[in-house]
Amino acid sequence: MLELKGLTRRFGATTAVDGVELVVPDGQMVGIIGRSGAGKSTLLRMINRLETPSSGRILSGGRDVTALSGRGLREWRRDCAMVFQQFNLVQRLDVLTNVLIGRLAWQRGWRRLMVLLAARFTAEERAMALAALDRFGLAETALQRAETLSGGQQQRVAICRALLQKPRFLLADEPIASLDPRNAQLVMDALRDVNRRDGLTVLVNLHHLDTAREYCDRIVAMQAGRVVFDDAPGALTPERVRAIYGISEQEFAAEAEARRRAAAAPARLAVA
Amino acid sequence: MTTAEIAAWQARMPGAFGGTVRGRLLRLAAGLLFLLWLGWALWHFDFAPARLWNGLAGLLTILRLMVPPSPGELWVDILQGLAESVAMAFLGTFLAALVAVPLGFLGAGNVVRNALFRFSLRRVFDGFRGVDQLIWALAFVRAVGLGPLAGVMAIATADVAVLAKLNAEAVENAERRQVEGVTAAGGGFLARLRFGLLPQVLPVMLAQALYFFESNTRSAAILGVVGAGGIGLQIAERIRVRHWDEVAFIILLMVVTVAAIDWLSARLRRRLIGGANPPPRPRSAPPAARSRSAIRPGPRSSPAGRRAAASRWRGGRGCRSRPCPAGR
Repeated sequence: MLELKGLTRRFGATTAVDGVELVVPDGQMVGIIGRSGAGKSTLLRMINRLETPSSGRILSGGRDVTALSGRGLREWRRDCAMVFQQFNLVQRLDVLTNVLIGRLAWQRGWRRLMVLLAARFTAEERAMALAALDRFGLAETALQRAETLSGGQQQRVAICRALLQKPRFLLADEPIASLDPRNAQLVMDALRDVNRRDGLTVLVNLHHLDTAREYCDRIVAMQAGRVVFDDAPGALTPERVRAIYGISEQEFAAEAEARRRAAAAPARLAVA
Repeated sequence: MTTAEIAAWQARMPGAFGGTVRGRLLRLAAGLLFLLWLGWALWHFDFAPARLWNGLAGLLTILRLMVPPSPGELWVDILQGLAESVAMAFLGTFLAALVAVPLGFLGAGNVVRNALFRFSLRRVFDGFRGVDQLIWALAFVRAVGLGPLAGVMAIATADVAVLAKLNAEAVENAERRQVEGVTAAGGGFLARLRFGLLPQVLPVMLAQALYFFESNTRSAAILGVVGAGGIGLQIAERIRVRHWDEVAFIILLMVVTVAAIDWLSARLRRRLIGGANPPPRPRSAPPAARSRSAIRPGPRSSPAGRRAAASRWRGGRGCRSRPCPAGR
């Protein structure tokens, strides 16, 4: 069980996340929706502790993880794997090594040294990585550089990396925002599969309401850093959307689409 | 994961498991061979712990003689030498940077299409680069006589080739689309260089010139030793008569000078290239950009970074992404 208590994050004068209270039971697939700048990303990044909360607490199974540091922090991050909008794979490393990065927080003592010096992962770990890739139809790409894969393939590699962490939670920050509809569906299917078959608790940031309704057990809507809706997908009717955001669902979708295009363009530039 | 499953994967994709036994043995043998060669080379140069230990004792004696540093009686000469060194470095780098701008364009494949001309020019750069600054200094001391002129010439000739090569690479990394915009508007060859390429590459060229000025201030000290003017002469004289306390004083002075130049050139770079007031970040930017711990590529470490630097340069004139107010 993941509990957020009064979680707040300020950047200078702006408050990105404002006193969020949330309880997520194990095994749930939660969609977090909201317009850009609503604080969705900051919320997920705080859970993985990529951002430090300004105030409030994060509890996992009753244990406070807000103030962890050193090995405790690394183990917490291992337990709540993260998937990013821009995939955040190491482009010049091969796909297999990218997936094996998920094993880093598991290495101890002598093994850790060997991994750091010579990327000496065990045969079992390599087989695990290949099996994970195979699950999403990517085993044949294992020895290619990550940069040679398409966006949709890279995102599935990122999910494999997350799986190798053997996490309890999977935090997906706009995982399909840079993908075309076909790849978006593949990635969302992968997330659902991970949730159903591996029993991971999945928190996924989305700005497509339809996707959230289709895939999630529960929808949390954010606006200006606050949680303004938290219910089953069926309760998020067009009227509720208009009441929360002041725009129709079509306008919401159009805005999301414009954002997707804007996000995809600089990504290509950075790779070139 | 059972052993059978692991074995099945090993059979299906042997490449994923660190190569074959044969390959691993070959790599091991190559590694051993390299270590052997390394050992032989060290032995050849009489690399012995005893010798190092004795050398260390000698160094300690010198260090003891250096404390406390003292300006000595001829401190005016020291200050003069230091000023001369900085001036030499500046003049040499300035001349080199100036000449390297047109040479950089001539050496770039997207400007000069004639492959033979470009190839020969680049080989000439290589030739100049192959000769060290110190050799140039020795040559110019014979040619134009003792003194700072020889130093300036040595710095300029040695650096012009390096800067020209770096500039040529910067020009080749420039974005074609921006030049195309100028072409489409009816701009001629020179207009394309001036308005399409130069704004993109100037910040890179400038940053490089500043780095070279910084490093030349350090190496200008060496040039004095061979008679090419500057602080080096003062150091060499004091080492000859074993006035180590005065040597220490000069060294401290040089450290301070280099640090001051470093600070100054960093400020200048920021001012001319941008970064003093960063462009406004759109609200939709991923928070990664805000994270303090994120490793950011330096402004010159990648083509993308170079482009970013170039866009900052364009913005440095007062109007950023918003349309310019009329009259600017």
